[in-house]
Amino acid sequence: MRGMIFDIKRCSIEDGPGIRTTVFLKGCPLRCTWCHNPESQKGQSELLFYLEKCIGCEQCIQTCTHDVHVKGDTGHQLNRANCTACGQCTQHCYSGAIDLAGREVTVEQVMYEVNKDRSFYIRSNGGITLSGGEPLLQPAFTQAILKKAHESGIHTCLDTSGYAPWQSIKVLLDDVDLFLFDLKITDPKQHKQYTGVNLAPILDNLKRIDKAGKAIWLRCPIIPAINANIEHINKLSEIALTLRHLKKIDLLAYHPLGEDKRKAMGQTPTEIADDIPQTTIDTYRTLLQDRLTHREMVIST
Amino acid sequence: MTMKKYAQQLEHLRLTKSRQTREKLDQLGVRDEDDYGCILPPDDFKWTPPITDDNGSFSGARTWGKNFRSLMEHHPVYVDPNDALAGRWMFMLSRMRQGYRIELSNFAFDYSHLKPDQLKYDITCGIGKDAHFAPDYRIGLELGWNGLLKKVRDAKVRYSSDPVARELLDAEEDTILGIQNWIERTAHQANVLAQQQTDAWQRANLTQIAEMNLKLVDHAPLTLREVCQWIAWFNMASRTYNRDGAGGQLDELLRPYYERDKDTGIIDDEDAQFYIACLLLNDPHYYQLGGPDQNGKDQTSALSFIILEAASDLKISCNLTIRVHDGMDRKLFERGVEILLQDRLAYPRFSGDNALVEGFMKNGFSAELARQRIATGCNWMSLPGMEYTLNDVVKINIAKVFEVAFSENMSHQPSLEQLEELYIKHFAKAVKTVAEGLDFHLEYQYLNEPELLLNLLSHGPIEKGLDVSHGGATYYNMALDGAGLATVADSFAAIEQRVVREQCLAWKQLAQSIEADFENEDGQRIKLMLKHSEKFGRGDGLGDKWALRLTQILQDHVAGKQTPGGRRMIPGWFSWADTVRFGRSVGATPDGRKAHSAIAHGANPNPGFRHDSAASCMAQAVAAIQPGYGNTAPWQLELDLGMADHPAAVQNVMALMQAHFDQGGTLININIVDSQTLLDAHEHPENHPDLIVRVTGFSAYFTSLSKDFRELVVKRVIKEAC
Ligand code: SF4
Ligand code: SF4
Repeated sequence: MRGMIFDIKRCSIEDGPGIRTTVFLKGCPLRCTWCHNPESQKGQSELLFYLEKCIGCEQCIQTCTHDVHVKGDTGHQLNRANCTACGQCTQHCYSGAIDLAGREVTVEQVMYEVNKDRSFYIRSNGGITLSGGEPLLQPAFTQAILKKAHESGIHTCLDTSGYAPWQSIKVLLDDVDLFLFDLKITDPKQHKQYTGVNLAPILDNLKRIDKAGKAIWLRCPIIPAINANIEHINKLSEIALTLRHLKKIDLLAYHPLGEDKRKAMGQTPTEIADDIPQTTIDTYRTLLQDRLTHREMVIST
Repeated sequence: MTMKKYAQQLEHLRLTKSRQTREKLDQLGVRDEDDYGCILPPDDFKWTPPITDDNGSFSGARTWGKNFRSLMEHHPVYVDPNDALAGRWMFMLSRMRQGYRIELSNFAFDYSHLKPDQLKYDITCGIGKDAHFAPDYRIGLELGWNGLLKKVRDAKVRYSSDPVARELLDAEEDTILGIQNWIERTAHQANVLAQQQTDAWQRANLTQIAEMNLKLVDHAPLTLREVCQWIAWFNMASRTYNRDGAGGQLDELLRPYYERDKDTGIIDDEDAQFYIACLLLNDPHYYQLGGPDQNGKDQTSALSFIILEAASDLKISCNLTIRVHDGMDRKLFERGVEILLQDRLAYPRFSGDNALVEGFMKNGFSAELARQRIATGCNWMSLPGMEYTLNDVVKINIAKVFEVAFSENMSHQPSLEQLEELYIKHFAKAVKTVAEGLDFHLEYQYLNEPELLLNLLSHGPIEKGLDVSHGGATYYNMALDGAGLATVADSFAAIEQRVVREQCLAWKQLAQSIEADFENEDGQRIKLMLKHSEKFGRGDGLGDKWALRLTQILQDHVAGKQTPGGRRMIPGWFSWADTVRFGRSVGATPDGRKAHSAIAHGANPNPGFRHDSAASCMAQAVAAIQPGYGNTAPWQLELDLGMADHPAAVQNVMALMQAHFDQGGTLININIVDSQTLLDAHEHPENHPDLIVRVTGFSAYFTSLSKDFRELVVKRVIKEAC
């Protein structure tokens, strides 16, 4: 079985408990305007070009048979439409100026990499996290990895937007130890506006996961001018109060980390350029803590 | 536990220390070594060695003894009314010999026959190097200075017809008499200051210092405070003699005195913590905490924690190592990590008992003995009072060995197999040169510079009338470290990948680019091509394969091997502060490294070894290349704030270390650094006078490092974040 991933990050401490290996699956049904992994959205491989790293050796021009790389009056240009993502040019670019996001790998290849840090998982109560993109867009591949991980006694986390048919979540319930559930916006209209999809099925899936008794951490990005407001925090706490198996809420401060990549993919920059001040995040945390004081739950930032 | 009772005193002591560090920096300039506890002598102080040879230098036990005694008898006294202990040291006699340079101490005997190969392979040969093994403080603590004097005088009677032993023992007598003089003058000075003091606490403190030291001139220490003072005197004297900075198992050394004082009610824990803080302030010697006793029982006690807290209260450079073992008190490990993460002063360090014990046993020693071999130096372990080792001062720059092999390979029809064979041939020659040098050192060092201080706290030298370097020690386990592992592993890997496997680079093109330091046509691309090859640390790539191969070669030629004179050698990977100096002697290398830039640091992968710079990969890589005979290949880890500020930081860092030790790791040095602060300190050192970093095994004030070294630390931190 093969699937499309765009990265494997070892020694990750931000994607669940302990020391983990995070596998990033490519392809996402959402189009969040602030996405800090824009290369995760499309299901296929795509080319990233970092002009500032280019040393002008022209190896890519010589290598590419589709005339994607051209040197014109305005310097190094890309005819992206011609690119078949064959990866040839990246093999000859030693400066790191060209990167191909997305590669097909087998479950075995993923597990080979994941197994390398087994002793770190044991010592830290860590494990594997499938993230994305949206792992549920590749349900069979996702399930196969989770099953293999469990077979080898590795703790599993699924980082999901929750935007998927319930059936594809339901079949995974036994193989996921902890759901990292991304709850981005709590206002339905805004949700549609900024992510491109409806909120209702997401909330529905969240409730069902909880009902199934699975442990949940909510991951909530706080983005200036979109959801950095008290109403959102109030809504979050209301939702949190309905979930019996919610263990933690992570408030994730927005940083414009995806901008370089967006540029490298030939996309226009987002309009959200600023970091969110830590003091704002701290205020929200206190607020949530106050609301959820009778619940055993960690609010972290 | 923060001390309330002594908060004011500690604040004074910290400020004084900070001022003294600044003064040293202003006067002595930057130095790539430990922040020692020394201070500058008074401006008007003058002393030169009274006995010198014709060339202005001096050697031989008699002369060292006389000169040291004279220095002690003239040494300025230092008493701080806020300090529980008296004394500061100001000179290094071993550096007062004319012609002395840190990297090349003059040696009274001719070894020019070894020099061509020492130069060819850039060998730090250890000839004429001193200290770098550990004393057994218990000898001194039981006997006191008078007891030691009696031991020496008794031996003199026994060896009255042996001129060599007589000369050594005479010198030992001078050594002790000199130290006693220094202590006695200090006691008198404390008395004088006490009379003048108006503050009641300080007057009482000075009176106690005077009485305690007057007693310690002759007698063995009986209380915790006296023991701390006795150790401080030995440390200061030994530093003054030849920079010796080895420590011991501090918690166990102090425990009987602490327990007795507590039982009799003369101290509480705050008193104990204050005395120990003053000892740590006196000099950053290397001490181990916790770990198994010789029977495997955990040695952690209340004092282990008190020592940690004392260091944490001080917030200065300290060299404490917690020994991590299976049966340990996890709380000590946890508290150590908490302090590391909170204080961010690069201590404590952590050593891995399993690999150290198993490794040392491979040399034919028992588990009981192996457990007693403890962390008492920068990268090194030592059997206190039993072992002579030349730890950390004998090194082969393997990047240089590689360079010699590479150039010979190019003079034939080049091939990777031939390059490997040539590397092995030249490495073997380098080891042979080192081994002959070690024998030479062991034959003549006692005539050049006997270990007059460390002899006193070793089992054997006084009893046998032989200097520790000349048959006085119980064991001779001569350390030999390779330096530049990742540079050479990545070079071999880049050649295998680009020249042999992918064939996108011809041998000739490679050689030309190296010769031109990548400044030739297409040089920049070739450099990047080489730099982005499969590096050591990436995991299961060519770099890791070659690092293992180089370790195998090191083991084959050093582990279980003896010098021609029959002394055992033990391999390690470590470069200490020589990373920069070794780099200067090596041109560009096939890993894309520019000519004369620093070689790889210790056992670490090169910065940028993986796209995610995962600390777990580094932990695995460094664990995999352990030479495995009881000497270390330390892992230097730079943790960024993401890891250090994480809510589960303590558990994650403990897990990271523990997994490294599970896989064979021996020693971990950790810096917690905010890259922005570091960059700013690099640009504006004046704004960060108190920033402490662990450079390699030792820690230092960042601003006291040379620019080259600061750059090196910055590079490591920026590229290695987890
Ligand atoms: S191969 Fe890379 S460095 Fe060379 S011109 Fe193309 S993008 Fe630039
Ligand atoms: S990935 Fe293939 S098609 Fe696309 S630019 Fe590179 S060489 Fe051309």
